[in-house]
Amino acid sequence: MKLGSIAYRNIYRNKRRSILSATAIMVASMSIVLLFSLLTGMQGDLSYNLQTYATGAVRIRDAEFSRNERLNPMHLTIENVDRLTEELLATPGVSVVSPRISFPARIYRGDETYTSQGVGLNFDTEALYQDLGPEVLQKGRLPEAGKNEALLGYKLAGKAGVDIGDRITLMSTTASRGTNAITFEVVGLAVFPMTATNETTFYAPLDRVQYFLKMDDQVKEVLVKTDVGVDTKMMAETLKTTLTDVDELEIIDWTSISTSYSFIELAAAVYNIVALFFFFLASTVILNTTIMVIFERMKEIGTLNAMGMSGKDLVRLFFLESLYIAVIGSVIGVVLGIIITQILTRTGINLGAAMDGVDFDISSVLYPRLSLKSTVLVFFYSVVVASVVSIFPSRRASRIEPVEALRAV
Amino acid sequence: MITIKGVRKTYKAGDTEVKALRGIDLEIHKGEFISIAGPSGSGKTTLLNLIGCIDTVDEGKITIDEEVVTELDKEAKTSYRRNKLGFIFQSYNLIPVLTAYENVALSLQLLGLKEKEIKERTMTILKEVGLEGMEDRRPAKLSGGQQQRVAVARALVKNPLIVLADEPTANLDSHTGEEILKLMKKMNEKHGTTFIFSTHDKMVMEYASRLVSIHDGEFTSDERR
Repeated sequence: MKLGSIAYRNIYRNKRRSILSATAIMVASMSIVLLFSLLTGMQGDLSYNLQTYATGAVRIRDAEFSRNERLNPMHLTIENVDRLTEELLATPGVSVVSPRISFPARIYRGDETYTSQGVGLNFDTEALYQDLGPEVLQKGRLPEAGKNEALLGYKLAGKAGVDIGDRITLMSTTASRGTNAITFEVVGLAVFPMTATNETTFYAPLDRVQYFLKMDDQVKEVLVKTDVGVDTKMMAETLKTTLTDVDELEIIDWTSISTSYSFIELAAAVYNIVALFFFFLASTVILNTTIMVIFERMKEIGTLNAMGMSGKDLVRLFFLESLYIAVIGSVIGVVLGIIITQILTRTGINLGAAMDGVDFDISSVLYPRLSLKSTVLVFFYSVVVASVVSIFPSRRASRIEPVEALRAV
Repeated sequence: MITIKGVRKTYKAGDTEVKALRGIDLEIHKGEFISIAGPSGSGKTTLLNLIGCIDTVDEGKITIDEEVVTELDKEAKTSYRRNKLGFIFQSYNLIPVLTAYENVALSLQLLGLKEKEIKERTMTILKEVGLEGMEDRRPAKLSGGQQQRVAVARALVKNPLIVLADEPTANLDSHTGEEILKLMKKMNEKHGTTFIFSTHDKMVMEYASRLVSIHDGEFTSDERR
């Protein structure tokens, strides 16, 4: 009869208590698997949103733009866009590019004005860069090149009180630092993943925006997406050595631009600490169980000790019992966490109204994503923490004098 | 074989000091079937615990087979108990999650013997104590008498120098108690193992080949039969 078998059988001596201990570990493991899956989902979502709507994986702008960004330097543009696009697409690891002009604009509608963010895009190629399918385009159609047409975020449209077929007039600062106005017909309404984008953004054809902002054949920025697994930092460095006119350009990868992604990375670190505390909290149940078990089995400890079982083996006996409970609790918790995550991955978590007015690049529907690495870590985390915690009371078993133990009732 | 010289033991019960043994001397020879008799609180269990290396003396020394066991450290005492001593307790003290076979075999497993030898010796002793066919029963499925038989088998299976039994029949009815005593006597005669048992039951005393009486921590008589 090995110690392990005795320890395993001991679990069944007080089933209710063992179930309670295992449940504590199970709930902790399940919650942490869900928490990390949510975090991984948020990271993926944030990464997609930032790369698609804000920064690209690598952003190329005029070398002076960032330094003057607060002055809205619309005159600092990129020229020779076609050549740059060709060079970029010829670079290994680059999957798609999006030349664009984003600009602040005020929409005039009756006596009201609305702050908005316009984006001039080439709709012929943009569908390769971002999803412009029925998930996003909820009503109407995409604007066409050469026509004064616009696709509005549905919340912006609601705010301005416009629908398909209505016209909006907007004003903005041009590349020559003057002010210009243009009227677009609303041809489509979009539901972008991010609430903030829906509240402010409209898309228009690149050529009409170039005309409106006096940027003939120029763009404000070129956003680059890379193939999966490509290190964006390395890509930015590579492009700095391969592109023509590189001295006139600022080439920067998205992780160096975005503060929101750093926030998520910080959150991941904080979650690790939270997870550890969670497990310690759950482990107090195992700690309590082990203390009670030792107290209840005092006479048995005395008997085993009288028979000549060493202190080390006595510690091992109680430690193994806690370890088994921790393993059972962790396995069930992790499996439940995986199942719930898989369900939520399909259904999503609708943050809906909670995201209203939140200017953060997170989608209003979040899809948790299971991370194998963190799930395996959660399992080991919970088993190790719970077992290590149980060592302390287990050691007490070896210090009990057999004469005292045998005297116990 | 066992020499007890000038052994004193005092316990503290709250603020009160209880003198359990007041400087006792005793010699026990190999193969004796000796009963330490006395009323509750006379010091008989304390004496058994000291001989069994599960308690420490305040003064004096106990020598077993020329080894001064009272001078051993905690680990050495554990090892000594494992190799040389067998215990039988009043309330059997079997491990409830183990079967009769496993309870007995555990003694040999602690000695690190091979599985084949463990099996042979365990089955033999279980047969000797009359538990053949009950090897797979857990203590809860055995009567008090059967449980004490397992305890006797567990104590004897490792061929110890001494078996210490603290009131081994106190929890049994007189008929079963007598059966256990006969069994212990049979084992004593067959294996030549020294048995030291405490009791305050007159019937039990009758079986002893030597009866040492103790009162208030001092021996009052030593009678060989």
